[in-house]
Amino acid sequence: MNASPHILAHGVCVDFTVAGRITRVLNDVSLSVPKGGFVSLIGPSGCGKSTLLKVLAGLLPPTSGNVSVAGVAPIEAVRQRRIGIVFQEATLLPWKNALDNVALLMEVAHAGLSNDEIRGRASDMLRLVGLERAAEKRPAQLSGGMRQRVSIARALALDPEVLMMDEPFGALDAITREEMSDFLLGIWERTKKTIVLVTHSIDEAAFLSREVHVMASNPARIIEALPIGLPYPRNEESYAAPEFARATARLRRLLKEGHRKAA
Amino acid sequence: MSAVIDDPAASVSAINDAGPAPGVRARDAMSRFMPAFVLFVGIVVVWEAVSRIFKLPEFVLPAPSSIVRVLVARQRDLGYAAWITAQEVVSGFLLSGIAGAAVALIIARFATFGRALYPLVVLFQNVPKVALAPLFILWFGFDLAPKVVLIVVIAFFPVAINMLVGLQTVDTNLIALMRSVGATRNEILWRIQIPNSLPYLMAGLKVAITLAVIGAIVGEFAGAQAGLGYMIQFASTQMQTSLVFAALVEVSVLGMLFYYAIEWIERRYIDWMPHAA
Repeated sequence: MNASPHILAHGVCVDFTVAGRITRVLNDVSLSVPKGGFVSLIGPSGCGKSTLLKVLAGLLPPTSGNVSVAGVAPIEAVRQRRIGIVFQEATLLPWKNALDNVALLMEVAHAGLSNDEIRGRASDMLRLVGLERAAEKRPAQLSGGMRQRVSIARALALDPEVLMMDEPFGALDAITREEMSDFLLGIWERTKKTIVLVTHSIDEAAFLSREVHVMASNPARIIEALPIGLPYPRNEESYAAPEFARATARLRRLLKEGHRKAA
Repeated sequence: MSAVIDDPAASVSAINDAGPAPGVRARDAMSRFMPAFVLFVGIVVVWEAVSRIFKLPEFVLPAPSSIVRVLVARQRDLGYAAWITAQEVVSGFLLSGIAGAAVALIIARFATFGRALYPLVVLFQNVPKVALAPLFILWFGFDLAPKVVLIVVIAFFPVAINMLVGLQTVDTNLIALMRSVGATRNEILWRIQIPNSLPYLMAGLKVAITLAVIGAIVGEFAGAQAGLGYMIQFASTQMQTSLVFAALVEVSVLGMLFYYAIEWIERRYIDWMPHAA
C-alpha cells in the first residue's frame, strides 16, 4: 500500500457559463483517496457529485484547483489507462455481443495485440463478472444488471488502477442493486482497485465504502467525510450491524442538514 | 423474426431462436396479411358493383374487371414498360442512396464543411424538384439519364437526413470513453457512428424508394419514349383509361416489390433493432 494518496483533489472549483451567466457548480472541494480505497460521493440531485467525478476522471477540466490521480493530472492518467469509467447507463453497442462489447476499448487502446489475445482477455473479464455464459448475447438479451456488469468488465479490461463509477446501479431495481453491491465488493476485494462511487443511496454508500463524502448544494461542496468502521468482508449481516445503523443515521442527518441549509 | 412483438420476453426469444416453426410462421403471415387482403377485396367488389350499377363509361372509370382484361391483353407492352421504369427506379435509387449517405458522412465527419453544406442542402430541398424535370430532359436527352438525375435530386434528401441523425445520436458518454482510450475521429466514425446509423439509413432508403418511383414517372411525363409513366400519359391522351389503370397497377406493384425488398434486407442484416410490424 502506498503512503501518498492515490487520488488527491485540492481546492477544486468548477464554473459553468449558462446563457451568459457564470454558475459555480463546485466550490472549493478537497478530498483524498488512498490506493485500494473505496470512497463514495453522496448528495442530493444537482449537488455536483457527478461533476466532481467527471473532474477526477479527466472528463472535465476544473476551473481552478489541483487534481492528481496516481501522481499525475487526470487527463494524463486517462491517457496512461489508469482510470476506468462506468456510467449510469451501460452504454453498450446494441449490435455487438457481450464479448465484443468488452473488447471494444481494448481494440482501440491495444492496437498491437492480436485478436485472439484481446478476445482471451475479454472472456477473462466476463468470467470475472460472472457472465462467461452470456458472451454471445447481445445487450437486448441481457437484464439491466447484466448489462451493467458487461460495462464494468469493459472498464476492467484495460486494467485501470482506479474505477470511477457514476451512479452505476441507479437505473436498477432495489433487489438487483443489492446483488450488484455484493458483486462490486467481490470485484474490489479480488482486483484491489481504487474505487470512487457516486450514489444517491445511503445504504449503498454505507455498505460499500470505507469513507463517504457527503455533499450539499448551493454552493456545491463536501460537508463531511465520514469513515465507515464496518469490517470487511461485508455481507448481508453487515446491514444489521450497529455500526451500519450508526453510519446511515449520521448520513441521513448530514444530508437533511445540507438540504435545509440550501433551502 | 418479424412477427408483431407485444411482450419483451417474446422479443428476446425471437432474437434467440431461428424463429418459430415454418407452419407457425406461415400462419402468422396469414393472420398479418388477412385484414389487408379482405379490405382490398372489399374495395374491388364495391368498385365493380358501382361501375356496373351506374353504368359508368369505361373512359371515365373502368371496372376492375376491364382493367384486369387489359392487364392480360397488353401484358407484353406493359411488361416492357415496367422493365424500362424499373431500370430507372433501381439506378436512380442506388445513386440516391450513395449520394445521400455521402452527404451525411461528409456533414458528420467534417464539421466546418458540414456547417457550410447543410443549409445549402436544406435550401435545395425546398426547390420544387419536379419542376426541374424539363431542364433535365433538355440537358440529358430522353433516355435513362434525365430520369436518374431527377430521382437522385428528389430521393437523396431523406437518405441524407435520416443517416445524419443516426450518425449524430450516439451516446456522448460512449464517445468520451472511446476518446479516453485514444480513439481517432475516424475510429469513432467506423466503429460506432456508422453502425449506429444503419437502421436510420434503412428508414431513409424506404422513403427514398417510394420517391424514386414517383421521380421515374414524373421524369417520363416530362419526356420519354418508353416506360409506365410514358404509357400512362400516352394512354390518357387516347382515352384508353383502362390501360392507364393497368399501368398504374403495375407501377404500384413495382413500388411495393422494391419497398419490401428493402425491408427484407433490413430485417436480414440489421437485426439489433426491434422491428415494428
